[in-house]
Amino acid sequence: MYKSQKLIRIALEYDERENTINSITISGDFFLYPEEALEALEAQLIGTKLERDTLKQDIDRYLKNSEAYGFDSISLTEAILGCKTE
Amino acid sequence: MSAIKFSKIRVLETGYRSAAVNMAIDEALIESIDESPVFRVYGWRPAAVSIGYFQSIRDEVDIEKCSEIGVDIVRRLTGGGAVLHEFELTYSFITKRYPQNIMESYLWICEALLMSIKRLGFNASFVPLNDVVINGKKVSGSAQTRRKGVLLQHGTVLLNVDVDKMFSILKVPSEKIRDKIIKDVKQRVTSLEGITFDDMASSLKTSFATKFDARLVSDFLSTNEVSRAKCLTEGKFSSKEWNFRR
Repeated sequence: MYKSQKLIRIALEYDERENTINSITISGDFFLYPEEALEALEAQLIGTKLERDTLKQDIDRYLKNSEAYGFDSISLTEAILGCKTE
Repeated sequence: MSAIKFSKIRVLETGYRSAAVNMAIDEALIESIDESPVFRVYGWRPAAVSIGYFQSIRDEVDIEKCSEIGVDIVRRLTGGGAVLHEFELTYSFITKRYPQNIMESYLWICEALLMSIKRLGFNASFVPLNDVVINGKKVSGSAQTRRKGVLLQHGTVLLNVDVDKMFSILKVPSEKIRDKIIKDVKQRVTSLEGITFDDMASSLKTSFATKFDARLVSDFLSTNEVSRAKCLTEGKFSSKEWNFRR
């Protein structure tokens, strides 16, 4: 769980050996236009390395045709990485 | 600010409906819209919690408690947070012509909302992205979606508020700070005490007509819209697939 401008909740499964995402669900009270971009993002993040720079760059790339209110790629990256230590 | 105007606005006063029916009507109107925008006012019976499009129902709502006290639960088509719909008026505005910029489009519609609240004697102001406040306290929140070239914005105007009931059915991020959260919300939320649903509806209609320089045409849902809403109620907004999708 991560409090950005809005609350972001992450459910993450990851491969500890490879340090990559196996599955991810992002939820919260934010806005994202178009809405379908979130499901596309979750699908595209599978296999992404859980490393700050890689993750942020991938999120920026996947959301480049969307508009988010309540989070940005930095806060989403931190929320995802935060799951590793929770 | 956008100078988009309309010659007429179709007005629908659909009364008090269940949560699933209310959301189904909104979606049916997105599908049936023609060149004239639709302005709809409605209420919720039984009381209901709507959650944002991106929220997890299990994380946000005490489902058992809702069932116990007869509160409906539904996932909205729009983002944002969970809302208890009980003592309030809800509006929808659906249009094919709108400012493409998201922040601008919220302001564009919320200006009419603001005018209507001010007309009733309250010193209201707009706080981006989507709130109307009185003396810094939120009285109205809105959310929008855009589908196939159609914008729907819906939102609530609080006529009364029961924060304790709200938090008896909404989960909080941390139980340890539940009391603090409730206290904070009580300080940050207000309502239009003394204003009835009909007063608010009437003021809103006048403001939307003025803001968009439009003639209001009172109407009813068409047979096709009723039929489509029924289908969406049963197939989507009452379904576990939709409401528990996240």
